[in-house]
Amino acid sequence: MSSISMRVNGEMRTATVAPETTLLRFLREQLNLTGAKLGCDVGDCGACTVIVDGMAVNACLMLADQADGRDVLTIEGLATRDQLHPLQQAFEIHAALQCGFCGPGVIMSAKALLDETPDPTVQEINDALAGNLCRCTGYTKMVAAIQDVARSRGAGTVKLPAPGNSGRA
Amino acid sequence: MKAFDVVVAKDANEALALLAAHGARAKLLAGGTDLLVDLKSAAQVPDVVVDISRATDLAGIELTEHGLRIGALATHTAVMRSPLIQEYFPALVDASHTVGAVQTRNLGTLAGNLITCVPSMDGGPPLLALEAIVTLALSAGRREVPLGEFFVGPRKTVLKPDEMLLDIVIPRKNLGKPTAFLKFGLRKGQALALVNVAASAWIDPKRQVFVEPRIALGAVAPTVIRARQAEAWLEGRPATPESMAEAGRIAAGEAKPISDFRASAGYRRDLIQVLTARALAQAAAQAASKRKETSR
Ligand code: FES
Ligand code: FES
Repeated sequence: MSSISMRVNGEMRTATVAPETTLLRFLREQLNLTGAKLGCDVGDCGACTVIVDGMAVNACLMLADQADGRDVLTIEGLATRDQLHPLQQAFEIHAALQCGFCGPGVIMSAKALLDETPDPTVQEINDALAGNLCRCTGYTKMVAAIQDVARSRGAGTVKLPAPGNSGRA
Repeated sequence: MKAFDVVVAKDANEALALLAAHGARAKLLAGGTDLLVDLKSAAQVPDVVVDISRATDLAGIELTEHGLRIGALATHTAVMRSPLIQEYFPALVDASHTVGAVQTRNLGTLAGNLITCVPSMDGGPPLLALEAIVTLALSAGRREVPLGEFFVGPRKTVLKPDEMLLDIVIPRKNLGKPTAFLKFGLRKGQALALVNVAASAWIDPKRQVFVEPRIALGAVAPTVIRARQAEAWLEGRPATPESMAEAGRIAAGEAKPISDFRASAGYRRDLIQVLTARALAQAAAQAASKRKETSR
């Protein structure tokens, strides 16, 4: 067994895992963070996308052990108790998800993109989402939602809007 | 996944010692985008996975006296963002950009792409066209192997079980050599190449002829290959559309494409011909625009 500790959504978590445990299984089964989904388990679908040290990665292709000492952000780390993240709001307003299975992965990919490229082109958004398969909605509404967030936030990292101004539909 | 042990190696020496101790019962884990996929479906897993993903001495992309050194842990994303690679080898940026998607490029390494050694690898053709050399190490010593001799067959390289790849070096003489990479897949995103081609060449500014043209083809033979007959034919020929088209025809004849569910051999041959001519044209155009820059 390996003993690991990492920051998950801002909180230090320490645990013991079997060495072959993927980061995805660790998050879902040991930390009960079931936002990241188990889709293909081989790096094709992006449903498991989380952000590790600022980079979007497939949590199914990383051992929990490899995330030891790192900073992990999952979809659960975006909203606060009373406020959705602007990306989540925009996805809701644009109805950019149907079944929602791909959603946590898509939104984490979008977050990683906007953190680095605050004002992306459509081409850059498409590139950022190429590893996230959506079988329901298609991508047009997602791209529009991401553009909306980029436009309304301007340059800089996406920030949570002021309370009472969520713009929710 | 079946159970295995994980040992973290914090540098190359530790990794080599672990490989020497465990031999064929150990596997190195760097980006993990291929290894973990394999292990999930494997009937037999190694006893020990040696995790080198945080071995700092293996990361890094830098200029040395020998040329451009790309450390074994350089990810595709690191390759794409490296100012050195952007300046000297934009074709490598293009190749890494076509690998997988953001999430896999953030994890997967260029070296791993070579080591997994599938015929359709995108990292292979530009590196082969630039005559890259890989440094391999055992705990007992090192050897340098030209990339063309590193590949043995599908999923097979000359790497011994207790040997590891330390870095990829593009020789100094090829720094800034005009190079183009082109890939044709069934989709734009996350698709394996039906054919990929890289061409590098200098153009003699006075005579406007090809000098040291190098053509590498992927997905059309058991490993990535050089189109040596086409290269030899092109040497000293004028950089014209006609000569590039003829080089494409010769290259198509040298390849041994197969028919599979993605494409027929005949279709792949047509692709080689067209992509080779286009890659040569792009390399020639780069040479021309570089000349303009320097004369300005
Ligand atoms: S579950 Fe990780 S990419 Fe599909
Ligand atoms: S909304 Fe169903 S897969 Fe994307």
